[in-house]
Amino acid sequence: MRKVMSANEAVANAVKLARVGVVGIYPITPQTTVIEKLAEMKAEGEIDADIVRVESEHAAMGVTLGAGAAGVRSFTATGSQGLLYMHEMVWWASGSRVPLVMMVGTRAVGAPWNIWNENTDFMSERDSGWIMAFASNPQEAFDLVLQGFRISEDERVFLPMMVGMDGFILTHMKTNVYLPSQEEVDAFLPPRRQPYVIDPEAPIGMGNIFPPVEYMKLRHSIHSAIQSAESVIKEIGKDYEKISPFNNYRTLNVKYRMEDADYALVLMGAWAGDAMEAIDELREKGINIGMLRIRYLRPWAESEIKELENVKGILVMDRATSLGRGGPLYLEVKATVRNQVKGVVTGLGGVLLNKEDFKRIILKFLKEAKEERSDGVEWYYPAEVEKVELRNPKDVE
Amino acid sequence: MLNDTSLMSGTSACPGCPENIAMRMLSMALGKDVALVVIAGCSSVTQGLAPKNAYGYASLNIAFAAGPPAASGMWRAYKRRNRDVTVVVWAGDGGTSDIGFASLSGAAERNEDFIYLCVDNEAYMNTGGHRSGSTPHGALTPTTPEGKSGNKKEIPFIMIDHNIPYVATASVGYPHDFIDKVREAKTIRGFKYVHVLTPDPYGWLFDPSRTAEVAKLAVQTCYWPLFKWKDGRIEVSPESLHCLKKETRRPLKDFLSIQGRFKKIDEKGIEDLERYIDELWERISLNLKR
Ligand SMILES: Cc1ncc(C[n+]2csc(CCOP(=O)(O)OP(=O)(O)O)c2C)c(N)n1
Ligand code: SF4
Repeated sequence: MRKVMSANEAVANAVKLARVGVVGIYPITPQTTVIEKLAEMKAEGEIDADIVRVESEHAAMGVTLGAGAAGVRSFTATGSQGLLYMHEMVWWASGSRVPLVMMVGTRAVGAPWNIWNENTDFMSERDSGWIMAFASNPQEAFDLVLQGFRISEDERVFLPMMVGMDGFILTHMKTNVYLPSQEEVDAFLPPRRQPYVIDPEAPIGMGNIFPPVEYMKLRHSIHSAIQSAESVIKEIGKDYEKISPFNNYRTLNVKYRMEDADYALVLMGAWAGDAMEAIDELREKGINIGMLRIRYLRPWAESEIKELENVKGILVMDRATSLGRGGPLYLEVKATVRNQVKGVVTGLGGVLLNKEDFKRIILKFLKEAKEERSDGVEWYYPAEVEKVELRNPKDVE
Repeated sequence: MLNDTSLMSGTSACPGCPENIAMRMLSMALGKDVALVVIAGCSSVTQGLAPKNAYGYASLNIAFAAGPPAASGMWRAYKRRNRDVTVVVWAGDGGTSDIGFASLSGAAERNEDFIYLCVDNEAYMNTGGHRSGSTPHGALTPTTPEGKSGNKKEIPFIMIDHNIPYVATASVGYPHDFIDKVREAKTIRGFKYVHVLTPDPYGWLFDPSRTAEVAKLAVQTCYWPLFKWKDGRIEVSPESLHCLKKETRRPLKDFLSIQGRFKKIDEKGIEDLERYIDELWERISLNLKR
């Protein structure tokens, strides 16, 4: 079935088709329409999941983790302050190796308040031991959340998975979304598997103190589970073709016009659309640039990224910061390839870029690359921002 | 039947540990088919080192503030799986009255179907006995070396104000009363709050052989009331009935002088504590079941 819907609505549909049993919900813009849709589905009798309206995101993950540990498929969604508030439980979920899925509608974090899009919230969980995917259109939001349950519940992985999506720009963007039937999803997604179930039937104690070496081995096992998830994700992506017309899940990340590219742009998320338009126009002028869209931050598909070593110059655009250091994606790419890498930090707090901005950024980068000084990080402001005077908290009236 | 399945050998608790006493009584009350959620506190340590565990119950250890939410997810999961399991959150007084209070209140407001058990040793014992919202006025702790100023938070009353089906207080000095109340809680659907006083030799500074004695003195001097709240009324337990009249209360000094933590308290401090106890019992009298 094809239907026009927002990414948030697509996520709710994936949760429904995955037959999720327990959902912990706490509202935060721009995630709210996911939980509203789920509550509405429940009220209309379309789903029979327990919707638990908790008092905080810390609790939302607590409920989701508790239900998962007790043997039921579970889901939650958050973003921004909510994800930061949940941070302790994000680690608890991966450390407990309980499969579950979370949607993250990205948004800037305070202070000061800002409800617009930025990916720093999502990026700040990159060390937490989760499988981390990032969608770029409503269809992908649906596909990744649905696949997420199977990836997370695969015994080679057994880790929670979060699927990020750009706040408003994607969460509220409406396009045609293809939804497989319930029978097809049931065939694709087997009944829940998990490493253990907390149940008096076979009483075990989970999460009490691990001594140093044993603790380190546990962390090590999560590290290797994330790495082995790479082939699992590809396998599941290929299997997804049985229930979906989309066949671009055979790799973790997505290439655009890279076959003959001399230069590569690396980024993740919804702005890939504007970037592709800019690339098309530059190509017409004889500039051989392509794009690698990062769809999985964890696992970090090293071999896919390493292919970038064949190009003459790499430009990484981050909609996030590791303040004082540049963009997280830039740092990741730089740590993977031998080439010079230029990083651009932009789009923070909802700053919008258009195709022309992408062209400006790329052209400047090409000039620098030719002079072999395409290294380091630039903070880019859109063309209409004429003068950049840095702001301080006391610059208020 | 007094079977005891929750606590096996190998616990690393201190001698005279009141939390372990409470744990044994819990399983005497509930038997099998229990899943525990244990939040940060002494009990997350005294279970012993993984991969072994001294608790005989299926248990999920979880971050400080996440006990009630995890239990909310768990009982729903058991219900969906047609499993008849009593879910119990095991939480210290710090985890209850301070850092975990919002999640306790939230789960109570939603009337989630589990037992919340607060084991109250009146301090953050696991980190070294620091003051919590449940530490009484005048008590010395490493973070109140001059004696805490301000009364113990009255969590049982705050829980009554949540209008949940069942609230009860207990003391490890009176096992039958505690066990009966936990058993009664098990028969009730919805949110059950049980608050058990667990006097701690190392925080309260008394000899570890006297845990039960101190737990009794707390009740006899009416510092700690034993009651249950059900159907909109308080019912005082027989052990505490004498407290309803001021004249029949045992002198508070009998309770204070047996512990080292009140050694700096002056006459004014004792009067403040006595007034606190008077007000506590006035409040109970106002809500009595008649
Ligand atoms: C978020 C967080 N902050 C601080 C701690 C450190 N901590 C662990 S146990 C504990 C004290 C627990 O005291 P209480 O709840 O009274 O239980 P008890 O140890 O007395 O049984 C503290 C402060 C923690 N685990 N998590
Ligand atoms: S400090 Fe108190 S509660 Fe903690 S283990 Fe020792 S006796 Fe038990």
